[in-house]
Amino acid sequence: MGGAAGLALGVVAALRRRVRATAPGRRFFRHPTAGPGLFVLTFFVTIAIAAPVVAPYPPYYQIDIEHPDHPPSAQFLLGTDPLSRDVWSRVVYGARVSLGIGAVAMLVAVTVGTAVGAVAGYFRRWVDTALMRLVDVGLAMPRIFVLLMAVALWEHIALWVLVLLIGLTGWFGTSRLVRAEVLSLREREFVAAARALGAGAGRVIFRHVLPNAAAPIIVSAALGIGHMMLLEAGLSFLGMGVPSPTPSWGNMIADGWHKMAVAWWSATFPGLAISLVVMALNAVGDALRDALDPRRETV
Amino acid sequence: MAAWLVRRLVASMAIVFAVVTITFFVVHLAQGTPCGGERPLPPDVCDRERAVFGYDKPLPVQYVKYLAALLHGKMGYSFGLHRPVADALADAIPNTFILALAALLIDFALGLALGIYQAARAGRFGDVAAGNVALLINSMPVFWLGLVLLLVFAQWLRWFPAGGPHNPILCPRVDSPYCLLDFLWHLTLPALTLGLVGAASTARYQRAAILEVVRQDYVRTARAKGLRERRVLLVHALRNALLPIITLFGLAFPFLFTGAVLIETVFAWPGMGRLAVNAIFQRDYPVVTGAALLTSAMVVLGNLLADALYAVADPRIRVRGGEGGP
Amino acid sequence: MPTARPRAGLTCAALACLILVAGCERPVGCTGEYCGTMVIASGGEPDILLPPVSEFSITRDVTDQLFLKLADLGASGNTIGDEDFLPQLAQRWEWDTPTTLVFHLDPRARWQDGQAVTAADVAFTYDAYTDTLVNSSFRSSLRQIAAVTTRDSLTVVFRFRRRYPEMFYDAVYHQRILPAHLLREVPRDQWRSAAFGRAPVGDGPYRFVAWKAGESIELGADSTFFLGRPHLRRVIWRFTPDQQGAVTQLITGDADAVEVLVTPDNVQRARADSALATYPYKGAAYGYVGFNLAAPGDSTKPHPLFGDRDLRRALVMATDRERVLRNVFGDFAKVPPGPLSQLWWIWDPEIRELPYDSGQAARLLTRTGWTDSDGDGIRDKDGRPLAFRLLLPTTSAVRRQYARLLQEQFRIAGVEVQLDEVDFSLYNERARAGRFDALLNVWNTDPTPSSGFPQTWTPAGFGRSNYGRYDNPEVDRLVDQAVASAANRDQARRAWRAAVETLNRDAPGIFLFATSNVAAVHKRIADVTIRPDSWLALLRTWRIPADRLTDRDRVER
Repeated sequence: MGGAAGLALGVVAALRRRVRATAPGRRFFRHPTAGPGLFVLTFFVTIAIAAPVVAPYPPYYQIDIEHPDHPPSAQFLLGTDPLSRDVWSRVVYGARVSLGIGAVAMLVAVTVGTAVGAVAGYFRRWVDTALMRLVDVGLAMPRIFVLLMAVALWEHIALWVLVLLIGLTGWFGTSRLVRAEVLSLREREFVAAARALGAGAGRVIFRHVLPNAAAPIIVSAALGIGHMMLLEAGLSFLGMGVPSPTPSWGNMIADGWHKMAVAWWSATFPGLAISLVVMALNAVGDALRDALDPRRETV
Repeated sequence: MAAWLVRRLVASMAIVFAVVTITFFVVHLAQGTPCGGERPLPPDVCDRERAVFGYDKPLPVQYVKYLAALLHGKMGYSFGLHRPVADALADAIPNTFILALAALLIDFALGLALGIYQAARAGRFGDVAAGNVALLINSMPVFWLGLVLLLVFAQWLRWFPAGGPHNPILCPRVDSPYCLLDFLWHLTLPALTLGLVGAASTARYQRAAILEVVRQDYVRTARAKGLRERRVLLVHALRNALLPIITLFGLAFPFLFTGAVLIETVFAWPGMGRLAVNAIFQRDYPVVTGAALLTSAMVVLGNLLADALYAVADPRIRVRGGEGGP
Repeated sequence: MPTARPRAGLTCAALACLILVAGCERPVGCTGEYCGTMVIASGGEPDILLPPVSEFSITRDVTDQLFLKLADLGASGNTIGDEDFLPQLAQRWEWDTPTTLVFHLDPRARWQDGQAVTAADVAFTYDAYTDTLVNSSFRSSLRQIAAVTTRDSLTVVFRFRRRYPEMFYDAVYHQRILPAHLLREVPRDQWRSAAFGRAPVGDGPYRFVAWKAGESIELGADSTFFLGRPHLRRVIWRFTPDQQGAVTQLITGDADAVEVLVTPDNVQRARADSALATYPYKGAAYGYVGFNLAAPGDSTKPHPLFGDRDLRRALVMATDRERVLRNVFGDFAKVPPGPLSQLWWIWDPEIRELPYDSGQAARLLTRTGWTDSDGDGIRDKDGRPLAFRLLLPTTSAVRRQYARLLQEQFRIAGVEVQLDEVDFSLYNERARAGRFDALLNVWNTDPTPSSGFPQTWTPAGFGRSNYGRYDNPEVDRLVDQAVASAANRDQARRAWRAAVETLNRDAPGIFLFATSNVAAVHKRIADVTIRPDSWLALLRTWRIPADRLTDRDRVER
């Protein structure tokens, strides 16, 4: 754990030095929570990537089932859970699953949302209306409900299908954002110039419009990962998320919460991990918003 | 204004209609009719329902019959609850509504207070500390926070009950002041959990809005007139900073339903969220379809309400005539 | 502003008054010896309150208070002969011939709608329990009864096919007498969904009051009950999503009683709680992993995996049942030497069973062709991995814990297990329909193995309690022999032992635990006697002394 922390610290410090040279970099680090947030993220990503090295035990290994619920100690950093599995190892491997699900789902959501928003914003008229009505319908159904229904209606769906669904139910907000950006950007001179030079719609969107709209997309993506992770946690809590024995922070809470009174560590540390990561994502997202948004320069 | 409202109303109904259609077809494609499949309804109930919903007819006919039945307030029969779906939903909706309302009140009260506090101490330690605590709470999984509060306040301290909407023996109905207080006592923890998580983001919006507003001219004028800082903030800035609250009100509905699903499970609150989740687990599809329909209607209505309030509150929108909403 | 403050003050005063008033208002109601409201917290809910068509133990708990049997088990639990049975609906009985039993009903017995209980009701009940359309699980237990006839309105005659020691027990224990005049018109194939089952009318010490689906069932005492007025006026079952929630309700004081505390932590908490009294009693439950010997959904074909006896045996030997049990139960259960509960007299740790031997298990698996050819840690054969799904309900924390522990035990042996944790009612439907690979099941057994064992482990239970469709004619023969010689303890014991050992060799399941129960009841409730085979059987004798009544107990409605 110490090694990972040190590594994360080093990465952040190096990043800070390099990035501070630029104006957006300075704006980013002006936020007092940006640095710590970045540190937390780097830390968890590091331990997720280096899980086999960082974790002392395999995540599903039941060490001594006759003596479960060990409190945190030198041997078991965060204690053991009711099935005598090392909580710290599971948090580390769970980082892979939870962060992975959050990131992949976000990727899906951002891709679909950007595509839909860009098309709607660029082509306007009936395309815009049709797509935005679709977005309205999508926003009307609460996500957790849709996901629960999907998991119940089709028995035994694979994990990747679940992740895909989480992404596919979360693109609506991004599409509105992108549409707004594209609507304003398409009136600018560089777009007219590109069109005058004979560029097709696709080329205009991809090479000219979207790069300028990237800032709010990135910010909403950073904030969105947190929502996806919380959603996965909620689904796992209800029993519809990541199946046993694969650890995810959500199903660790589900496994351990009925023993909260006598063995609080099994459910508390994963909950804390989720909270810290989501908090860091929020902080970094806020800082990014200020850093990347040139309009804020004047304020 | 009226024309805009009518347009939005029509659009909202269209959205709900689309949701109903999608849910109907999806459920049917996956699981067939309630009279067949894995959990069929009992034969006598099936005979009754078949007449209304046409379970042996082709799918488009069933769809039309379902819509027709909806207009009569019939949504089918729940075998898990042994009563008509509409009755079960009618009993559950007020509970969720009250929970959401209480949560919103706590949300805005706390958020406003915190936002004002932070704005008053902008940049200083109080602001930063409060901001970080708020951020942490906002980032917590809402069910986890609920579990922690349940453990601490209900099991350890015994200050609040461990779940349920009322004391079922002493107060099966709210028919006395004692029972009303009992109900509020049971409402506190779940509403507090939902409200806390929302309060954090409300506070952030409020702080930003207030800070932006106090920079403006009319506030400087009030300061120049020699009014106390507190009056300046509360009376003048606040009125205009309240606008984001209305936006948040509209945004809150989907969040509230998601949170309600989890919180109602943790605290055994008999609302729509728990009803829907139990129905999904029991494969009680008539209830699932009905719940999908109603929650979408509530979300859409909430948005509509928020838009209308926004139009009322912000004269700039009214003059422009609105752009058909976000 | 000067005007604002008095207004605020007024509001505060009003609020204070409200609180004071609310605090003063106390429901004054029942006083004396026949008051009391007992709340029982339960992690499961009855399916239908109609005895022939339900096997749930929670249903039995409720219907025990609503319906009477002809005679009930005595305190000793002896099921042989008729001396140790207590009169209930039948006032007395005699044997006209060694195979003819005559009951004389108590003329005071009344249905709760006022009608008298007659011999016709008994005959009707027998007819229903044995009707194939009703398809009762108890039908097989009544197969030795040839006919039930009435001699007059208060005399019933049971004729048996042959003599055997537990005749009387079979005649009285399984059937709860039903009102013919209310159920005669209900088509027999619709009994599982009959409206009567949601609002039953019985003749027992308690009357049905209300059933809120998913929440609670309320019963009220029948003050004119002919065997003695029940002391507790109201009994309410509250349903929680799982057993752990039930224990939480008990600890916080929202409930007064819980059937089983289950885990050592709960027992410790209950013992430490000064308001609760704990009652240990012999557990009637045993839990096991049951393999489906038939293909899921198609009982004519064998299961692709579990049709193979060697595979089943290997899985049993790969499981360290002792250690797993200690994790879940601590000292409050034992590993059974077969499908036995601790209540059964045939419990014998010497019964031969497959040992825990992971080495032998591995060798057996390899010998039957299951090897890890692709190095992923899971054995496979002909390209198919050794993987199956384990079905269990979400309501049982014990089973969920077991499932996760077993998952790891099997993974070490090279077997991949995925968990299907479903809703309780869905679990039961799938189990009965045979739509599973393996399931984690728990049975609450009858006081004697004679009725419970065949129901679950012989073809008599196909489509009912024998979910895995286990069938071994040798076992059937030995069971028949054991039942027939029940009077001769030694002979019966030998026969039962042979039957269980034969079954163990076939490994139709992994027998995981037999509970030692500890119930917890609030201290204010006195005269608590628990009969191990049905913990609430003597509920009508429980009482709350007048000086210990709380608010809840005094509520009139």
